[in-house]
Amino acid sequence: MNRRRLRDIPWAVLMLVPSAGLLAVWTIYPLVRAVDYGHKQCNRTLTECRDVGWGQFSRVFQSDQFQDALLVSVKFAVFTVPTGLVLGLALAMLADKHIRGIGVFRVIFSSTVATSVAVASLVWFVLLQPQIGVLADQLSGVFPSLKEPGWLNGNDTALPAVAISSVWAGLGFSFIVVTAALQSVPRELHESALVDGAGSFRRFWHVTLPMISPTLLFLMVVLTTRALQTYGEIALLTGGGPQTTKATTNIPYLIYGENSLIRNDIGLKSAAATLLFLLSGVFAAVQFRGFGKRVHYGS
Amino acid sequence: MRARTTSRRVAAFAVVGLLVAACSGGGDITESGDDDGTTTTTEPGQTLAPTTTVAPDLLPDCPTDALESATGTVELTFWTGMSGPLAEALQALTDEYNASQAKVKVSLVNDTYEGTANNYQRASQDSRPDLVQMPEYMVQAMVDSESTVPVGKCIDSSGFDTSAFLPTALSAYSTQGVQWGMPFNISNPVLYYSKKAFAAAGLDPDKPPVSLEELREMSQTLVDSGVVKYGLALDSNFDGGGGWYIEQWFAKAQEYYVDGDNGRTNRASKVLYNNDLGVELLTFLQDMINDNLAVSVGSNESGQDDLLKLADAEAPAAMTIHTSAALRGALDVLATGIFPQLTDPDLGIGVMPGPDGAPGALIGGASLWPVDSGDPVRIAATWDFLTFLVSAETQSQWATDTGYVPVRTDAVDVEPHKTTLATDPRFRVAFDQLEASPDALTSAGPVVGPLSEMRVVLADAIARIFEGADVKQSLDEAAEQANNLISSYNTSNG
Repeated sequence: MNRRRLRDIPWAVLMLVPSAGLLAVWTIYPLVRAVDYGHKQCNRTLTECRDVGWGQFSRVFQSDQFQDALLVSVKFAVFTVPTGLVLGLALAMLADKHIRGIGVFRVIFSSTVATSVAVASLVWFVLLQPQIGVLADQLSGVFPSLKEPGWLNGNDTALPAVAISSVWAGLGFSFIVVTAALQSVPRELHESALVDGAGSFRRFWHVTLPMISPTLLFLMVVLTTRALQTYGEIALLTGGGPQTTKATTNIPYLIYGENSLIRNDIGLKSAAATLLFLLSGVFAAVQFRGFGKRVHYGS
Repeated sequence: MRARTTSRRVAAFAVVGLLVAACSGGGDITESGDDDGTTTTTEPGQTLAPTTTVAPDLLPDCPTDALESATGTVELTFWTGMSGPLAEALQALTDEYNASQAKVKVSLVNDTYEGTANNYQRASQDSRPDLVQMPEYMVQAMVDSESTVPVGKCIDSSGFDTSAFLPTALSAYSTQGVQWGMPFNISNPVLYYSKKAFAAAGLDPDKPPVSLEELREMSQTLVDSGVVKYGLALDSNFDGGGGWYIEQWFAKAQEYYVDGDNGRTNRASKVLYNNDLGVELLTFLQDMINDNLAVSVGSNESGQDDLLKLADAEAPAAMTIHTSAALRGALDVLATGIFPQLTDPDLGIGVMPGPDGAPGALIGGASLWPVDSGDPVRIAATWDFLTFLVSAETQSQWATDTGYVPVRTDAVDVEPHKTTLATDPRFRVAFDQLEASPDALTSAGPVVGPLSEMRVVLADAIARIFEGADVKQSLDEAAEQANNLISSYNTSNG
């Protein structure tokens, strides 16, 4: 047994080299550089740097701007993750029927996967434009804020409006993942539950949900990480604004955004990026710890 | 089981710890780069020792005659900040140059201004282009990069005649007696207004306001007549009403925006906009909004919200201030007739109204910077292409294609721009107000390292002022943050 495992090691290494190489070049190396820059102050062309100490991380973390951005990031995750999860599950359940023409609906429901963030944002930007947008035109009777000041310009509406666009754009991904999980649930389980007299709600609650719970946990962690990394929608829809409250300046926007004060300061933005990495890890760990025991990984 | 509980507690503590840290601490992120009190840094507002004029012999040479020794075609790369129709127009000019001779072939790499600026600053020496286009806020950063050949050196060595150039176009890109960049595409803010609304309100549609007082009076007349809801549409974008226009108004009033004579004789160390002039200007605008004579469209993320306000069906404004570079595009949109209430001939263009009607404007847009590749042939080839781009003929074509102001006065007498100006005088306004700029250092505008971030700081303060915040206090807060940015920039780049 042990000898066989030893024999497999060279093959295992060989198989792992390509992805490990990519990971090293595109993830590990930049991360190490970010941590390194995080305690430095450099000139614009990065030719001269001086060490300002690890305190730069805590100063960035404690700064008003980072704290505000952290709150925005958390709010954004709260807005988008449960909504994306529930809507993805609901659509997948709807489409998990063996009827004629269901393929058409599956294509429609998953279509946002083929839509880039930029295109999705542009669609919503035009829809929400206060003067010429269709939504402002049609629904301003119900929601006057669509017209004045416009949802993307309103302090209370900007973040939810970006969240709507983001959830919409991410729905295709959630739909596909949940659909795949639903199709892997053995039919016999449903049939025997049916024989035992379980109604559709009980079958969903006691058969479907436990069987797909590993997928839902995976989806929740991925959606949360994505929510924390959201940049494109915010850059294109609000530019981190409205300006008076910075209600949509999350951590990624604080790092790169056109309206960010630290976007040319490699030291401060590297420190902020490293902190975002650590925070994402903490959030993922909390989710695994909190929900992990409720997940049913099968026999 | 026990281990599991422990690790869950650890995770819970981590979250609680982060949230607790969130409540304590504080401070502005622009101060986070300071050392732990070990290194001395320049205090905001503290004036640095005067920098002496840059010694010309320390700067890279521009061997403009080296192209003659070239063997074969010299391939050049030109990084631009142009996109869409502007990039197409520049490509057409480049194609024309490439076809006109066999010695030099130029390829364009297009990005946004911000993208090009970032890529350039991050590029290693070997991966830099031969020529780069930089927006006006990048002057100090480009000087500090010590990576370019000052065009003044090329002008001297080739005997290139700049007498036809707009003086402010050249001075905008020179500091401490050195001509660093070559002006190429110039824009400045002008007044866009609805002639239709002016006529309907009983105003002369060919006499837009020139002074701020007239701007207010005419807004009052327009609003009172019921023709429009607002006289003026404002924005608080950093490249518009939140930053760039304030710099323009300071220049019109012949006041400096930053110290060191706008950073032109000494490196700037603090902003001056929280002075009486700044308070007066922003109070004026705030009053316009409070009295329902003006409306703010906010940060204007689309870049068009203020213009669209002129064509708004429900609550239109009669005037707005917008960059002249948008004129060609705006006219093209109006010509399609999608706004029945505002068609092409209804749009009037006037000078940017200023304090006491003072004339003049600052150079906006971008300039061209030849990169010091160390190869005399490439530098000479770059200069050859540059002289093509700023010739009267090329500038005439460029101005007509885009709406940019030509960098030289003789370009307006050359076709096709001659005809453009004759048939549509609206294209002339931006040029005329530049030509009227007073001959003073204030007309050259501020040069300071983090100018683009400083505009964001001021824009956020102006957005608060537009919503009713105290003018003086908001400007003071913005000035403090801007001074932190300058201090931090000067510490690392000075």
